[in-house]
Amino acid sequence: MENGYMNKWLKINLSTKEISDFNFPEEILRKFIGGKGIATHFLWNYALKLEKKGINIKDMDALSPENVLVFATGPITGTRSPNSGRHHVMALKSPLTGSIGSGNSGGKWGAKLKFAGYDGIVVAGKANLPTYLTIVNGNAELHDAQEIWGMNSLDTSNWLKEKHELKRAGISCIGPAGENLVPMAVIMNEVHRAVGRTGLGAVMGSKYFKAILVEGDAKPKIAKQADFDDKVKEHVEKLKENGVTGEGLPTYGTAVLVNIINQNGLLPTKNWQTGVNENAELISGETLTDKYLINKHPCWGCVVACGRKSKVEEGPYKLAYTEGPEYESIWALGGSTNINDMGAVVRANHYCDLYGIDPISVGSSIAAAMELNEKGFIPKEDLQGMEVDFGNADAVVELTWMAAFRQGLGYWIGEGSKKMCQHYGAPDLSMEVKGLEMPAYDPRGAKGIGLNYATANRGGCHVTGYTIAAEILGDVDRFTTEGKAELTKIFQDFTSIVNSSVNCLFLTFALGLDEYAEMIGPVTGWDVDTDELLKTGERITNLERMIINKLGFSGKDDTLPKRLLEEKMPEGPSEGQTVDLETMKQEYYELRGWHDGVPSLEKLEELGLTR
Amino acid sequence: MRVYIKVFASLRNKYPEVNDLNPMEMHLDKGISLAELISLLDFKQEEVQIALVNGLKKSLDFKLVEEEAIISLFPPIGGG
Repeated sequence: MENGYMNKWLKINLSTKEISDFNFPEEILRKFIGGKGIATHFLWNYALKLEKKGINIKDMDALSPENVLVFATGPITGTRSPNSGRHHVMALKSPLTGSIGSGNSGGKWGAKLKFAGYDGIVVAGKANLPTYLTIVNGNAELHDAQEIWGMNSLDTSNWLKEKHELKRAGISCIGPAGENLVPMAVIMNEVHRAVGRTGLGAVMGSKYFKAILVEGDAKPKIAKQADFDDKVKEHVEKLKENGVTGEGLPTYGTAVLVNIINQNGLLPTKNWQTGVNENAELISGETLTDKYLINKHPCWGCVVACGRKSKVEEGPYKLAYTEGPEYESIWALGGSTNINDMGAVVRANHYCDLYGIDPISVGSSIAAAMELNEKGFIPKEDLQGMEVDFGNADAVVELTWMAAFRQGLGYWIGEGSKKMCQHYGAPDLSMEVKGLEMPAYDPRGAKGIGLNYATANRGGCHVTGYTIAAEILGDVDRFTTEGKAELTKIFQDFTSIVNSSVNCLFLTFALGLDEYAEMIGPVTGWDVDTDELLKTGERITNLERMIINKLGFSGKDDTLPKRLLEEKMPEGPSEGQTVDLETMKQEYYELRGWHDGVPSLEKLEELGLTR
Repeated sequence: MRVYIKVFASLRNKYPEVNDLNPMEMHLDKGISLAELISLLDFKQEEVQIALVNGLKKSLDFKLVEEEAIISLFPPIGGG
């Protein structure tokens, strides 16, 4: 079939070693597209099946064999449409949050999975010994992974490529953090790209599932090739002409945001005690470019190339080669901890890549530990002589690997800031939503992103609905709450389309819904318009919400840390601000057709989500 | 009127030494607009996408009157 899909999914049961193919009917594909949408559809039905078996998913252990992983691409992935090497991964439950597990990654693995002949993979059960999967030209096989269990992402990747004599294969794997079941472990691919959030690496680890190698020569077939080719050309031109995608991101990477966010006074510093970082310049994109950059490193099929190849030339954190760091990693490891030492950030980020741990969650949790220590909550014996203080670069570098290996205080850092701050008796110092550490924008300085953090299904996340594009980088008033409900809803539903297509969210700096309809239409052969797409995005957001409702989350969980609701920003351009969340939230629920965080029956009927 | 100018990202191609920790001090006539300042700095208007005065976004017709104001200028940038 010529519809952009490979029209084949793989299902593996690691407990029984059964491998089988399946596919989704076209009407379901049109309702959920692919990627995040189709994975959410699968997880909803899977949740219903578990319930029929008498398993209450609210009480289910995220690290039990009953949890399931879904690796998904979409119709756009692996085509000549720009920036389409990405893939999405989901789990019914995140070990970090107890909410849904979800993450999206760059690299080439998504495209390579399609070249290997599959749109996606479902991984269920638990192996009795470490196992990995290869899919080469439609042939899927499970292998013994005992020899690579314990290896970091670089060694794993090299070993697999050599063993199977496939030097250009796509390798997705976990590092030691995933094996050690650290709840903030990531799934890495191409060594330096991550499915970063909600601890999906620990779900892989719990299944004794180390890696997936994909390679092949198949190509997705396009329904209307000539129309598609025209649009690809147009879209590439738009991306090159756009100031953000054509110049800002390629030249400085995502780290270009450090200075502008700090100049606006919303760069969370000292575990969100302030939004002003006096030395942000030292960890900025400009500094990274001047002193640490080797070259750009684009993902597969990317015309933007925000990825960085970097090095640390001298000093204690000297490093010949790594990739990144991204804006979020720089902020979490260097800004929130107030170390402002780029060499240390590059080194700590390198550990995150090698050992497979989420830099946002680990950096935020280290910063939380620093505030816990500052306020005297951590007993001396737990510090084991370490100076866990704001500004101590060595502590950040050490605690990063210690979290991956569950060493010393690293144990609690790896458990995430929520559990750690509860353990040390100061839960209000944990800067997370639904257990997921928030990223690098203090919503006291941009109210819409606060509503997005509060309502994002996977927890405190920016890329569910990136209102910063409008509030800081665009012309929307950042301090008002007015209109932020609608802004957040549109950003969230549009993002669901991007993550289901699957391609890169950064395209949306230059391409809008019209262009997405122009891409998805010719690829699939469907006559889609922007209204249908937005409705599809809304359907995906709502179905994901129905899953988290089943996992026990509702309106009470759509909230923000007390600090952001009650403590006024102490200084800088956002001084005096708090987040009036309740007003925005009620308006948002009304727009969504939700009651207390739960979709109404009318809304579900409208979206075709009732049975 | 004394003000401090900070330029970022590609705007530093023209002023490589100017940054957050090393702002450029300028003495300007009160009431000068951001657009005029941008010309004075030898930038094209379209090169500057975002202008902040003391951390608050202002349109290019905004007139500078405050002593010691910090003006932060950015080209089109984004990330996430």
